[in-house]
Amino acid sequence: VKDVVIKPEAPSVLLLDKHADYIAAYGSKKDDYEYTLSEYLRVSGIYWGLTVMDLMGQLTRMNQQEITDFIKSCQHDCGGVSASIGHDPHLLYTLSAVQILSLYGTVDVLDVDRVVQYVGGLQQEDGSFAGDKWGEIDTRFSFCAVATLSLLGKLDAINLNKAVEFVLSCMNFDGGFGCRPGSESHAGQIYCCAGFLSLTGQLHQINADLLGWWLCERQLPSGGLNGRPEKLPDVCYSWWVLASLKIIGRIHWIDKAKLRSFILACQDEETGGFADRPGDMVDPFHTLFGVAGLSLLGDEQIKEVNPVLCMPEEVLDKLGLHPDLLS
Amino acid sequence: MKLYSLSIFHKGATKSHLLKSAYDLSSFSFFQRSSVQEFMTFTSALIVERSAQGSRASVKEQEYLCHVYVRNDSLSAVVIADSEYPQRVAFTLLEKVLEEFSRQVDSIDWPSGNPDTINYKALDMHLAKYQNPREADAMSKVQAELDETKIILHNTMESLLERGEKLDDLVQKSEHLGNQSKAFYKTARKQN
Amino acid sequence: EVDVLVQRVVKDINNAFKRNPNIDEIGLIPCPEARYNRSPIVLVENKLGVESWCVKFLLPYVHNKLLRYRQRKQWLDREALVDITCTLLLLNPDFTTAWNVRKELLQCGALSPQRDLYLGKLALTKFPKSPETWIHRRWVLKQVVRECSPPETDRKEQNGGEQRDAAERTWLSERLHRVLYDEMKVCADAAGRYPSNYNAWSHRIWVLQYMAQGDLKVLHDELSSMRQWVSMHVSDHSGFHYRQFLLKALVKELSQAPISSPPPKDCRPSPDPRCHQAHLSEQVNGEATVAAPGSPPPSPEEKPSLPAVPQLFQQEMDLCTDLIQSFPGHEALWCHRRHVFYLWHHW
Ligand SMILES: CC(C)=CCC/C(C)=C/CC/C(C)=C/CC/C(C)=C/COP(=O)(O)OP(=O)(O)O
Repeated sequence: VKDVVIKPEAPSVLLLDKHADYIAAYGSKKDDYEYTLSEYLRVSGIYWGLTVMDLMGQLTRMNQQEITDFIKSCQHDCGGVSASIGHDPHLLYTLSAVQILSLYGTVDVLDVDRVVQYVGGLQQEDGSFAGDKWGEIDTRFSFCAVATLSLLGKLDAINLNKAVEFVLSCMNFDGGFGCRPGSESHAGQIYCCAGFLSLTGQLHQINADLLGWWLCERQLPSGGLNGRPEKLPDVCYSWWVLASLKIIGRIHWIDKAKLRSFILACQDEETGGFADRPGDMVDPFHTLFGVAGLSLLGDEQIKEVNPVLCMPEEVLDKLGLHPDLLS
Repeated sequence: MKLYSLSIFHKGATKSHLLKSAYDLSSFSFFQRSSVQEFMTFTSALIVERSAQGSRASVKEQEYLCHVYVRNDSLSAVVIADSEYPQRVAFTLLEKVLEEFSRQVDSIDWPSGNPDTINYKALDMHLAKYQNPREADAMSKVQAELDETKIILHNTMESLLERGEKLDDLVQKSEHLGNQSKAFYKTARKQN
Repeated sequence: EVDVLVQRVVKDINNAFKRNPNIDEIGLIPCPEARYNRSPIVLVENKLGVESWCVKFLLPYVHNKLLRYRQRKQWLDREALVDITCTLLLLNPDFTTAWNVRKELLQCGALSPQRDLYLGKLALTKFPKSPETWIHRRWVLKQVVRECSPPETDRKEQNGGEQRDAAERTWLSERLHRVLYDEMKVCADAAGRYPSNYNAWSHRIWVLQYMAQGDLKVLHDELSSMRQWVSMHVSDHSGFHYRQFLLKALVKELSQAPISSPPPKDCRPSPDPRCHQAHLSEQVNGEATVAAPGSPPPSPEEKPSLPAVPQLFQQEMDLCTDLIQSFPGHEALWCHRRHVFYLWHHW
């Protein structure tokens, strides 16, 4: 079996303070080479960092003014938001921007009407969504579209029936979903489609037992979860798989204690932060999904996370947003 | 499934030394091949050094599996494969190669031999043939014999090391690894 | 001083491409320190290498240059844009905006689709998963397909024109065929470089859906050439999923069209010599009886004989049984078995 072995000396307690320090320091080395390398996804990177800080109760350590100004300057005339200044707008970063501003309760920093127009304009005749004006189709973008609109309370701006029809056309015989019709099931795409169906009130369309079975088979002897059969475990799949199981009401089908010890073993005791697997390099992406995964597992040091939008439940409470979950 | 290297060693009192080796590194990126080759040889030698006479073991290192067979007469062989490659075919190969080698090369030459002096040419051919385990013979034949012998499984290279010994130090100290390979090792670690 | 150095390196890279149009792989050479009086760009055996020490100067330079252009703070001519984005994307192929700049260059005719497909192919030799590289390829392929379908309206011309039209249509469809097979090769290479490479395999499916819809022969060639591949990659769930996709598509086509109907019109032989290999391997693995792309065009009376649907399923189950017995303990094989059984059951 392709898996990792957790060494006895691997971390086994949650090092929250270290993680907060790691994230707080991450943005301060801006001339770093790695930082340049990841600029093409900056706004999403900020979403990962802010969300994990909020989940750990440390949001105030981040510079709200600076971040808000930056997000504002990433909105383009078309309404879409780009990853950074000078980059091109895309649904991925439009969602992240709206999520960031929702954490602060200041979505009006953006021209919201234009955002809605942008998202609506990307819907295709068959109900699918393009990621940007160049036309790539992916169920990830269907999720980004409805998640963005839900946060803005504007789900009615698109053709929901058609949108649902397209996502359902990507369902496979194993109960999972792929990026387009005919594509292989993948835990990340399943998360997007389950989240999409939750936000659109269509969860009954999922065969929860079948999909739940596929999802819980992602757990390996180490306790970690992979994203597809015979792949290595990765902390980010603790989120994609676990959140999907939570959405379809089958989270009790996995071994929580073992998964918890796998996630904890992916911490870096020295630098703080989580890596994809024990011993690898940490990054903000895996740090968010490690912490959010622990929250879904019920860790009480962390705020409760919403499995559909990957944001603190208290933030969504304020918005009155309660996406469906199956029981 | 893939076999990357096949090498024959003589296990001395403290060190082991290489007698012959063959590589198929075509699946690695071109500029990494020379470093990868050095590492495969380094790792193979280390495993032979740390394995007892008359033992068989498989050592997991990242996505690779190193299968080693050390005979009672100190002649040893290591094959490095990916994790898909069937273990028992790998051991069949080791067994066969050592058998053939010991018939063709006088045992007097083992303790002092090196790849330039040893005249044994079949290694490349075996490596190529066994790339497809189903075309290489004896998927089943040797199985029965092997089932009786115990194969030790090490989940990491570290478990072969002594207390306090570190792989990183061994790499830095090695005379067989060039600077480029050491630099390659540093960047390859801790990346996903 | 750094600027001068970096400008020289960018030039060296682009000169390497001019000097050798057959570069087929890029890579990083681990080398923490500069060796002066020597360029960090190395070209050996069609492989282009960059010494690692210079990347931390090179990348920020091309990165900032492109962004200044995008913010209209600095003007760059087309040639400079082509060169800058080329270097940038070989170092950081998920830089979406750089691909977009190239899309614009392509639209205004400053770049050819071939050249961009080539750049992407090279980037994939080092970054076989890079989602943005695959996404860009799909966009470029759409342009190629558009170019290859002549507008319906010019059809009504005098006789001579019609003949020219026919010749041109043949030429275009052959070109499309070549592009298709080249694309399959790019996917196969990337799949070999990273196991269960989702983006490579879902791209391959897209190519079939978009460029070879319902083309029995292409589907069959794919199924046939994949047989050897999956037998040597028994844990690759994506490879098996691709076979399931092919089976499903074949079953659908075979169930719809009677076998005696002539092969689809763009089943043209490809002049690509590599395709002969497909023919050979097919005889080795003894699966399909259909002609391979390199073989002479079937005359109307000798139609390729395609196995019937039950036979397809039977062959697949046999393959699966055989692999499960030879390579025990692989989840991917059992998933495949389950899926094939499902397809058969629901046929
Ligand atoms: C609000 C949140 C949390 C997310 C926004 C919505 C998005 C964009 C979710 C992305 C989900 C995801 C991970 C999709 C999968 C993408 C994909 C097909 C990756 C290919 O992965 P592999 O080739 O399997 O690579 P690995 O081997 O690295 O897993």
